Amino acid sequence: MNILRIFPAYSSLLVYLDNGDKDIRSSLTERAFMITSIIIPINFLLLFLLFALTGGQAPTAIVLEDKGPYAQQFLSAMEHSHSFIIQQTTSVDAKTLMKKGQIVAIVTVPANFDSLVRDGNQVQLPVVLNNLDVDFTNDIRRAVPLAITSFYANTFPNQVVIRAHEVDAYSHDTGYIQYLVVSLMVVSIMLGGLLQAGSNAAREYEKGTIKELMLAPASIWAIQIGKILGALLLNSLSAVVMIIVIVFLIGVWPEHWDELFAFVLLLMITFVALGALIGTLIRRRQAVIPLSIGLSIPVFFISGAFGPAEWGDQVTAAITQLQPVYYGIAIFQHAFHNFTTTSTSPAIDGFILAGFAALIVTISAVALSYSRGRGDIH
Amino acid sequence: MNQKENTTPAIELNGLTKHFGDFKAVDGLSLTVRSEEIFGLLGPNGSGKTTIINMISGLSKPTSGEATVLGHNILHDTRVVYAALGSVPQETALYEELNAWTNLSIHATLYGVPRSVRDKKITDMLNLVQLYDRRHSRVSTFSGGMKRRLALARALLHDPLLLYLDEPTLGVDVQSRRAIWNYILDLKKKEGKTVLLTTNYLEEANALCDRIAIIDHGKLVALDTPINLKRRYGDTVMEIETTSSVSAQLSERLRTLPGVSEVIQEDKVLKVTMSADELSVTGQLITIVTQEINIKKISQREPNLEEIFLSLTGSGLRD
Repeated sequence: MNILRIFPAYSSLLVYLDNGDKDIRSSLTERAFMITSIIIPINFLLLFLLFALTGGQAPTAIVLEDKGPYAQQFLSAMEHSHSFIIQQTTSVDAKTLMKKGQIVAIVTVPANFDSLVRDGNQVQLPVVLNNLDVDFTNDIRRAVPLAITSFYANTFPNQVVIRAHEVDAYSHDTGYIQYLVVSLMVVSIMLGGLLQAGSNAAREYEKGTIKELMLAPASIWAIQIGKILGALLLNSLSAVVMIIVIVFLIGVWPEHWDELFAFVLLLMITFVALGALIGTLIRRRQAVIPLSIGLSIPVFFISGAFGPAEWGDQVTAAITQLQPVYYGIAIFQHAFHNFTTTSTSPAIDGFILAGFAALIVTISAVALSYSRGRGDIH
Repeated sequence: MNQKENTTPAIELNGLTKHFGDFKAVDGLSLTVRSEEIFGLLGPNGSGKTTIINMISGLSKPTSGEATVLGHNILHDTRVVYAALGSVPQETALYEELNAWTNLSIHATLYGVPRSVRDKKITDMLNLVQLYDRRHSRVSTFSGGMKRRLALARALLHDPLLLYLDEPTLGVDVQSRRAIWNYILDLKKKEGKTVLLTTNYLEEANALCDRIAIIDHGKLVALDTPINLKRRYGDTVMEIETTSSVSAQLSERLRTLPGVSEVIQEDKVLKVTMSADELSVTGQLITIVTQEINIKKISQREPNLEEIFLSLTGSGLRD
């Protein structure tokens, strides 16, 4: 009997489907784990979103000792600098807020501000700074002089002769959160894929059921692709929830829905296959979880999550181009905002990502095949 | 499998060797498992049994030597061998979170059982192991014996010619053990299957196996039928109860008889240990005793595999 002759292509298809179905059923019986695998990626998305929301602008108290028109115009300049969360208060309250650590800086507009400005005299603007975090400190150091310049440009247009003439690459500005949330979706899909497929693969080794798969005459490819399919379907639950959060809760509407769905699928295949590879190699679910999270976070930071990776240093940009999240972020930014964040076109980025997907699926099947011959499955 | 394959040995190992670094787990093992026999593989913990099984089933590549299953080289025709092999691992490898039917259904897919006959085959197998009524129950709710039976049903589902059973009754109650033994014996008798089994229970090996191979330190120590092994390596103990105490001279005289290895005198009872090969001296032994004293009762205990095993390997069966 030659099983290869009686194991035609449609049987392999059945192996994909039944093996995937089996993994889904197995996962559904472990509800706590299943929920964790869906919740963690969404949690990841929300966590970084909160981080961005809280870290975007410096909370600053402004004490207006002068209520004159120039003082009011200066306040307006500060409010439009996109760098402060302004809280207008008294000197005493400002000091209390600073003491409690609730603000980064106190900017005081002195009582003689209007008269000094009107007479063209120098104005000393006291800025009390809590410089415990250089990121916020530098925000203040940059933004106060910018507010002063804006004040002069608006109040005395003839005195400020240099004007920036802005030409925008895109028709509208995109908020920091709106940009970041797209990158976060990519990394969350990555994390979800790694967790789901990694756990499914590792469970086979933990429970000893891998022997049933390894001793079967079915093709290793069919077995591994079946596992990838199962994890893909489970991972898609997480992806759908993320899309709902991003589109309907945060209000980021995709420019190209077709690209979004195609790239979500491609990205899920890539990372589900990577998860299957990790689970096959590590064989323990307890190890898969921290490794997945540990892998996702640094990749998130170097892959152009906050802005195009090429805007960073050349070495990091070169490194990040060697991994799929970089291309994932690029094509998602295009799908959502019509942005081009890499030197290549979105189509090329998509092809490169498809190449990664094919490569990782292949490596994961080879790893499973290698696992069969190692003789350490007992 | 065709007729030609039925006449070829089920398993043939030639100089099979496996090294893990400097450690020789299997050392030049050569043996043949005949078609349609129940073959037992016995060995103490770390003797190399699992490594041998892993090589036969294609889970491990030999360092050197060759393993053929039903005439197919395991390295070259791996998937053909997988299709011909039904396996019941010690830990059963069942998906315990799924029900019995689904477990068999997955197996049917993995082994290419046609959809048209799948449901009937699953039904037949579940009936065979008397689990059809529990087909929709999660395997995690099954007892150890039920899991073993289900694993056996699964292994038989694709109609393999060769069945490998790793400790088939480990952790199983006495009733289930008997039932499983009967299944195994029927597999050979009614289905013409070849069965390779490892077991901790020498009683089980004795009851089931046509031939037994004893492995130690990766080498074949003995290979024969249970009866021949007992004959060649076992000792028979004869207990002779007399009407009064026997003299020390009589004990000494008995010790000089060929094949007698030990004579223990306990009041009115003589315990004479003799080689199973030298049972012909029994008559002579009785004659010598009756010359001195009257015999009240004679009993003879057969050698057992445990003793043979201990004498051959110097250790007990632990794995």
